[in-house]
Amino acid sequence: MKKVPIRFRLNGIDRELDVEPADTLLEVLRDRLGVKSPKTGCDHGDCGTCTVFLDGRTARSCLVLAAEADGCDIVTLEGISRDPSPLMHQLAKHNSFQCGFCAPGVVLSATELLRANPHPTRREIQEAIAGNLCRCTGYTPILEGIEAAIEAAAIEAATIETTAAERSLP
Amino acid sequence: MPIPCEFEYHKPKSLPQAVEILSRNGKNAAVLAGGTDLLVWMKEGLRAPSAVVDVKGIPELHRLEMSEDSLLVGACVTFTELLESAVVRLRFPLLWECSRTVASVGVRNRATLVGNICSAVPCLDSAPALLAYEASVVVHGPVARRQIPVAQWFLGVRQTAIRPGEIVTGVSIPQPDRKNGGCYVKLGRYRGEDLAQVGVGVLALEGCEYRIAFCAVAPAPARAERIERLLYGCDLSDGLIHRAQDLVSQEIHPITDIRASQEYRMHMAKIMLERGLRAAVARMLGGGPELGESVI
Amino acid sequence: MTELEPLVRAPLDTKVVGHSAQRIDGWEKVTGAARFADDLEFGPGLLHACIVESPHAHARILNIDTRAAEKLPGVVRVITGKDFPYRFGLYMQDRHIFAQDRVRFVGEQVAAVIACDPRTAARAAALVQVEYEPLPAVLDAVQAMEPDATLLHPGLGAYEHVPWFFPRAATNIAHWRKIRKGSVEDGFREADVVLEDTYRVPRYAHCAIEPHSMTGLFDAAGRLTVWSASQSPFTQRHLFAQALSPLGLSHKDVRVVTPYVGGGFGGKAGVSCEILAAALATAVPGQPVKVMWSRAQEFYNTYQRQGVVAKLKLGVKRDGSITALQHQLYWDAGAYVEYGANVVNAVGLSATGPYRIDNVSIDSVCVYTNLPPGGPYRGFGYSEFFFGLESHINRAAQAINMDPVAFRRKNAIREGDTLAYGAHMNPNGLQEAIDRTAAAIGWGTRQQSEDPHKAIGKSLVLFWKAPAMPPNASSSAFLKFNEDGSLNILISGMEIGQGLLTAMAQIASEILTVPVSKIRVETPDTDRNPYEWQTVASHVTWGCGNAVKNAATDAREQIFALVERACGIDKDSLYLEDEKVKSRFRAGWELPLRDFVISGIQVPDNTFKGGPIMGRGMFMPEFSSAVSDPETGQGGHPNVHYTTGAGGIVIEIDRQTGKTTVLKAVLAVDVGKAINPDLINGQITGGLLQGLATALYEDMRFDENGRLLNPNFSDYKIPTALDIPGEVIPIIIETAQPDGPFGARGMGEHTMIPAAAMVANAIEDAVGVRLHSMPLTAEKIALA
Repeated sequence: MKKVPIRFRLNGIDRELDVEPADTLLEVLRDRLGVKSPKTGCDHGDCGTCTVFLDGRTARSCLVLAAEADGCDIVTLEGISRDPSPLMHQLAKHNSFQCGFCAPGVVLSATELLRANPHPTRREIQEAIAGNLCRCTGYTPILEGIEAAIEAAAIEAATIETTAAERSLP
Repeated sequence: MPIPCEFEYHKPKSLPQAVEILSRNGKNAAVLAGGTDLLVWMKEGLRAPSAVVDVKGIPELHRLEMSEDSLLVGACVTFTELLESAVVRLRFPLLWECSRTVASVGVRNRATLVGNICSAVPCLDSAPALLAYEASVVVHGPVARRQIPVAQWFLGVRQTAIRPGEIVTGVSIPQPDRKNGGCYVKLGRYRGEDLAQVGVGVLALEGCEYRIAFCAVAPAPARAERIERLLYGCDLSDGLIHRAQDLVSQEIHPITDIRASQEYRMHMAKIMLERGLRAAVARMLGGGPELGESVI
Repeated sequence: MTELEPLVRAPLDTKVVGHSAQRIDGWEKVTGAARFADDLEFGPGLLHACIVESPHAHARILNIDTRAAEKLPGVVRVITGKDFPYRFGLYMQDRHIFAQDRVRFVGEQVAAVIACDPRTAARAAALVQVEYEPLPAVLDAVQAMEPDATLLHPGLGAYEHVPWFFPRAATNIAHWRKIRKGSVEDGFREADVVLEDTYRVPRYAHCAIEPHSMTGLFDAAGRLTVWSASQSPFTQRHLFAQALSPLGLSHKDVRVVTPYVGGGFGGKAGVSCEILAAALATAVPGQPVKVMWSRAQEFYNTYQRQGVVAKLKLGVKRDGSITALQHQLYWDAGAYVEYGANVVNAVGLSATGPYRIDNVSIDSVCVYTNLPPGGPYRGFGYSEFFFGLESHINRAAQAINMDPVAFRRKNAIREGDTLAYGAHMNPNGLQEAIDRTAAAIGWGTRQQSEDPHKAIGKSLVLFWKAPAMPPNASSSAFLKFNEDGSLNILISGMEIGQGLLTAMAQIASEILTVPVSKIRVETPDTDRNPYEWQTVASHVTWGCGNAVKNAATDAREQIFALVERACGIDKDSLYLEDEKVKSRFRAGWELPLRDFVISGIQVPDNTFKGGPIMGRGMFMPEFSSAVSDPETGQGGHPNVHYTTGAGGIVIEIDRQTGKTTVLKAVLAVDVGKAINPDLINGQITGGLLQGLATALYEDMRFDENGRLLNPNFSDYKIPTALDIPGEVIPIIIETAQPDGPFGARGMGEHTMIPAAAMVANAIEDAVGVRLHSMPLTAEKIALA
């Protein structure tokens, strides 16, 4: 079968590759490009461990053909980890993960949520990560880590506001 | 687990180009939009196309816009785009609610409404809303463009009115011309994502018109016409609702499968009808539950 | 080698142990740096294997034709059972690497294709033609026990097994554990009420999010290395060496490397599919070959939690005392029971639950069936038997009009009481667990739902579990300092998510005063790390913790002996603080560890004394024995100790729909000493949810041909973030375990054990429906 040439941006670097039509994005990321944070948990889009950012939105890379990535901007946890977010620090601080296999998918889903909605309710957080299956934690420690990040960001924003307000005082 | 079948990958830039490829390959071609169904079927060996036609490169298929009191949802519009649209949330709340029950965020970011109705699995979540809104499916073929009422679209399990060489370009949903409220009630085995074991969509319109559609309880999703006739023009009293519940067994034909028994499905369909009706009316009047799933 | 330090009964204020340190593997996991077995790279020469599986539950293999498969370009070798006619097994050697003359479950491995890429391997596997002669399949344990049932293992009488198993040759009964204590006939006669009933529990799947992945390399020098996602590197090494011993492999030439594990729950213990990587590697010397299990294979061809039919008969007096218990459990153990038979054994010893009962008769019977092999699953049979037992306890209390919590308080086992097999019960905080759990759920106060459709119910149940291990299961640890005073600890206990590495770092930190942030605990490589039996049984905090504590103590003694020798200070006056050696006799004097733990201490004549400080520790219980009377089970000390606790729940049920919402779930567990309270809370939160899922919606279904109908997450539902209880309340109880590190005992499995019974009793409390079979679905409640 004719190979498909694709060009895409991966974690900020422009890449070019020839792929088989039937290759999935997950397979190409893991087996040809050495990007290991998206995992093969079920290969059917049910567990969320293969999650990547595709043009700014989370996607299940096991359900995306590599060919579809042509012209796209792909970001994985490796890309985000270069400049670890406060969310990641809070998740580590709260011992939010146990075996860690679901962590990359959860971090990306939570990152997507907080970018769009800095003050989600608990229900909204649950919905945002409902597609990321975790067998170890019972989810509560993850929710607490995310909520701690939200609170820390709110405190920081308030501090910045207060500091700015103080500066503008005569 | 690699995709076992071998195929050519096509990415047409225009609708005529897409139609040409589909016509040339007939039944061996598969349209790829979101891919969240197609890739699963290919991995399971349920589909083995020799040509996969990625239609995301066709600009007009991404349209989500109002056009003369109808919402046009292009073939590549994802469930996330529907959920983020204020127009959908405010003017087509039943569609908005059922979209929220589909899978999970990461799947909704890719999965399309049109892909959902083309899969025509009996449990598909978007069907009750589209039936209640009396939407129509816009189809382009090599010769002509057709607009098929949703009620005539679903012919059976995984069977639609599409012909070889044709492609669905969108769904057209007329906005109800009166004050209305809706509720989609979906039976799952737990709170997380699930394929509906019973789904009922209710649209209550000012003037006591009720449109009711079931999914997952028959080979194809359908309106409950007998119940609608019974309720038409009436306020919902307890007695009337009970009479409506008695008609449920004539409207639906659930089966027993690994997800639920026929008995439980019938039992739940009646409860969901009642609670869905009450929620839809309450919402029409400005109140009602925040989430349809909280109703059961 | 040091002896265990004498325990201080109420541990002194500890600085690190007892505090919730941040996980030492946390940052690795949050950043995605953590490597799992499937992430390891083996270069472009990596070969891939695809397994040919049986479509029949029971059949003779007549012929295997591999010619078409072999011809496919890219295929390196095709393997069948003829290439590996070797048996293996942990507790009984009843299993083959590839099926030999017959297959015994749908999905059993029959052949394998090794090829240059996964797609070619899959295509070639589809071309392997196997001719079968179907045989009658036995899919029900009780039927399998009938005299005319088809025999699944005609060779059972000749299988090697551990001395505490009692197989019945020429039957499908692989093991029959009997307990006879006192006289149940007398006990039932004495009773005012005798209650009898049967409870059924189906099979369940572990569903660790990481599937099994294993790669083997048999190099040109005859060295076999296997990289696997495993809870048991040393046990794997042992079983590989044993099974492949006809190839002349010595243990020293077999190496198992296990990185982080993405969840085990027992499914990655022992040896199941991993042996395929080991065997196939020997078929293609010099080339690594990878076997990756799909999610579907995870469901149908890895260990499953066994199903059981349990018959209970309980005698009680009106004053609330239990006079007799008869508990008969018939286990659907699957096609091979090399591991699962010990589940049956463990339950046989403990199926009284944590109650004081003088007259006990237990029969725990391990039955072969043509279903996938049963094996270790979090709880090791205890979740299964507690469903029936704790349901029955509630009903017995009701039968004599006694409050079910008061009934449990009255009959709860105490320290020193005689166990079912004759040994004695260890210290435990069961009464405290009952009191605090009852308070947490507001026991005694009936709650009304705000919703007229709904009813609220509550229940409290007890649980216990002992590690099920051979009597000589051991742990060991090496500990070495680095130039900057940091530490590397080498153990072979596995990090499967429970936080073992962190707990071990905390123990070493407590003794050596090196902060946890300066300690690395290495994941196992059997070449370099010392022996650990397995990471199962909730025993590694205890066993490996003792070994690490001994290693740290060993290092500390070397440090003090060296300082005494080099500096002339009495070693009994020395202590460690803030990574420095100090003396009670010399205020102000201190010697930082980093100054000498590699380079030694320089003395006045400019020579150096000492050298690299390395600690060595080992722990094996020397009081445990598994040999007992086959007819009564009396004798021996097969269980090192029990961890006890209580679980409580408040649920809300919609009477019309049957749907159950968990408002509050409580679990109190006596951990002896919480090394890291956060990690314990993590086990409670995670384990409770896993247990509640088996109670409410997980459901493994087989068709009449023994084929699993739902080998996927679409139809085997495990909890999502939307399914969590409204509130989870963990309660940590600390009644010290005398021989545990700082008084600790294990608890990882225990947190799911009470869940099903909690729900069953609360359902009855809410809506008066008593369910005898799991799962306790909305459908069953609504249609009851």
